[in-house]
Amino acid sequence: MDFSAVVLDDELEAFAAEVREFVAAHVTDEVRAEERRTGSGFNLALHKAMGAKGWIVPRLDRARLRILELALEAADAPLITLSTTRLVLSAVERYAAADLRAELLPKVLAGDVRFCLGYTEPDGGSDIAAAKTRAVRDGDEWVVNGQKVFTTGAQNCQYTFLITRTDPSVPKHKGLTMFLLPLETPGVEIGPIHTVGGERTNVVYYGDVRVPDRYRLGPVNGGWAVLRGPLDEEHFGAGHTDGLADLNIGSSWARLQRRGLAAAVRWARTARRPDGSHPIDDPTVRVRLGRIALDVEAALGTPGPMGRVRVSETLIRGSADLVDLVGPEALLPQGTEGCWEDGILDYAHRFAQGTAIYGGTTEVFRNIIAQHVLGLPRPVLPGSKALVGAGTAR
Amino acid sequence: MEQSFELRRNDYSLSDDQEAVRQAFAEFFGQECPTTRVRAAEPLGHDEALWHQLAKLGAVSMALPEPAGGDGATLVDLLLVAEEYGRALAPVPLVEAAVTARLLATCPGPGTGRWLAGNAEGTELTTLALHPVRPGAPQLVPGGAVARAVVGLAGDDLVLVTAAEPPRLAPNQGTAPLAWWDLSGPSRQVLATGDAARGAYRRALAEWKVLTAGALAGLADAVKRLGAEFTKTRYTMGVPIGSLQGVAHPLADVEIAVAGARNLTRKAAWFLEHEPDARPELVPMAFAEAARAATTAAAVGLHVQGGFGFTLESDVTLHFRRAKGWSVLAGDPRAELLAIGDRLAATVH
Ligand SMILES: Cc1cc2nc3c(=O)[nH]c(=O)nc-3n(C[C@H](O)[C@H](O)[C@H](O)COP(=O)(O)OP(=O)(O)OC[C@H]3O[C@@H](n4cnc5c(N)ncnc54)[C@H](O)[C@@H]3O)c2cc1C
Repeated sequence: MDFSAVVLDDELEAFAAEVREFVAAHVTDEVRAEERRTGSGFNLALHKAMGAKGWIVPRLDRARLRILELALEAADAPLITLSTTRLVLSAVERYAAADLRAELLPKVLAGDVRFCLGYTEPDGGSDIAAAKTRAVRDGDEWVVNGQKVFTTGAQNCQYTFLITRTDPSVPKHKGLTMFLLPLETPGVEIGPIHTVGGERTNVVYYGDVRVPDRYRLGPVNGGWAVLRGPLDEEHFGAGHTDGLADLNIGSSWARLQRRGLAAAVRWARTARRPDGSHPIDDPTVRVRLGRIALDVEAALGTPGPMGRVRVSETLIRGSADLVDLVGPEALLPQGTEGCWEDGILDYAHRFAQGTAIYGGTTEVFRNIIAQHVLGLPRPVLPGSKALVGAGTAR
Repeated sequence: MEQSFELRRNDYSLSDDQEAVRQAFAEFFGQECPTTRVRAAEPLGHDEALWHQLAKLGAVSMALPEPAGGDGATLVDLLLVAEEYGRALAPVPLVEAAVTARLLATCPGPGTGRWLAGNAEGTELTTLALHPVRPGAPQLVPGGAVARAVVGLAGDDLVLVTAAEPPRLAPNQGTAPLAWWDLSGPSRQVLATGDAARGAYRRALAEWKVLTAGALAGLADAVKRLGAEFTKTRYTMGVPIGSLQGVAHPLADVEIAVAGARNLTRKAAWFLEHEPDARPELVPMAFAEAARAATTAAAVGLHVQGGFGFTLESDVTLHFRRAKGWSVLAGDPRAELLAIGDRLAATVH
């Protein structure tokens, strides 16, 4: 157990300064404003600059990684596409044919090639293994037909890490094949989906898309194993146990909540009530702020799948409560007259809801906790192993 | 409050030594303190022989300053013992004895050596009054029904009050050895005054809260396990009830609460030991969170066992009564939220 401050020696100080300079130069107010406008989780110049630094997949010791990660996060750097690229890269390194790997790796590291996650379909995302997008072999090619939704970053990526059904006649996990499908292929059509949180994601249609077999990752019908690595990392994090890592994958959301809380404390200290007092002078206000501070601290300290649920629900509850506390001015978005601290409370309240959905919903995580942490029996569901259900076009 | 840009280690893991301490006491309580022994100690809530055994293992003495006979254990070690003690619902006033012994070691007075030794060796008991002394107003003191001495804060004085015999038990839902003590009488010895007294008392109270939070986290973990185990073998309509989300998800919520409370409590103990002024709000956070986790865990652990869980025959009722019994001794756990809010108001700019 150790929570001591890391003593930065001269070299670490120099690195921290280098990171600060990088952030000041590349995560500018314009970059942030563009992200608030587009919600794309990506900025080309920033991504290329990360590439130039060797930070797409940084080969740094863990202290440096932590400094870098926290600095980028605190600056609200839009790096969703970077994170999906990293997740997929591990599967590419492991499963792509040697020539494809050799072709892509330098381009990924330079920031020129980026990957998105093509898992979720309109009929449901929690049951990933029930994917219906079809891939049918035709000589040296595969013909892909189907539709994905929520393929975040597709408009800025060159490839999607696509889960397809290649054999509908076997138990559902055994008929899946993964592809690294080039998004420029004819028949791929990308359209925007916008969220209440301000994110832009995509619907992607695949109509008779012909993809050469070289873009297949892993064995035919062996896709589930290929998907597992990136999926587990998305669900549980990289699993570092060196005392420098976050305990759960939602920790950055908890830190966002802490920033919102600080904004609310400043509001409570400066705003005036009709009787002239400041809200912070009211103990009931301090109790509510105290509750949220506790939730943030507890969320950061809750490990693994438990922490993932705790963070999201903390953020959802706390961000709503902060809006109640501050009142309508908390709902004024960034850039409007009278909005509080860049509209962080408005933003957090909207953003919070999505954190309980993507990367596995909080119910999916409760199932994981029940089965894998508490050891409770698995529910007997008709579609656990087989493709069934009231879905369309099967 | 901690700033996100400050680079701190974030290591909740136990060292080999800490794990050894935890395991040793887990084994001790596992062997010596089955729930039959917990029940046998009711209604007083104290088992003299168990108390003696536990003290002999060094549960109290290990975290005393070395001149007072300690062997260099930290509050974190003590917390791990408290977690196991809570898990077993051990009918001994471990937290009170440990905290009061440490307090007597920092503020000794003529003759207090005997009281300290009594706590360390398990032969006598001196406990802590958790509320400031008000003249003429007796208070319920934890461990007070088995102690012959109590330390408390009276105005600016840290005082030791003794009695020939412990006062009568105040029977209570938590089956804790509570008793009413009037600490404002004349027969009291002043151990310290002014800032020294207030500082030492505040520190002892913080230690009591963190260790009790650890005990509550241990209790919560135990009752969660009892509930979960039951749901694996109980069937309805041909399936184990634990496979139903209406049963499984509340248990998952308990797991979430317990895992968080345990880590938060450990972090609070670490800071109290190593950097007490850096994150003082962790103490009220840990206490409020552990009290909430234990309350929820006990309610869910009871509920998933249906009618059986509600009967006296079911062990979860032991946890249920103590979850509340331990949570309220120092006052309303939600009052801790105000302490956190006060700290926010003073530190966030
Ligand atoms: C902003 C955003 C970005 C996203 N980015 C991506 C991306 O890049 N790539 C990608 O592939 N997907 C992405 N997703 C999709 C996301 O992974 C899914 O939304 C999520 O997995 C849930 O699937 P669903 O929306 O189809 O809901 P459903 O699975 O239909 O679930 C609906 C409701 O039922 C509950 N439910 C479902 N199954 C169970 C169960 N077994 N037990 C209990 N309750 C259950 C869910 O918790 C939910 O409340 C993104 C989503 C959002 C909102």
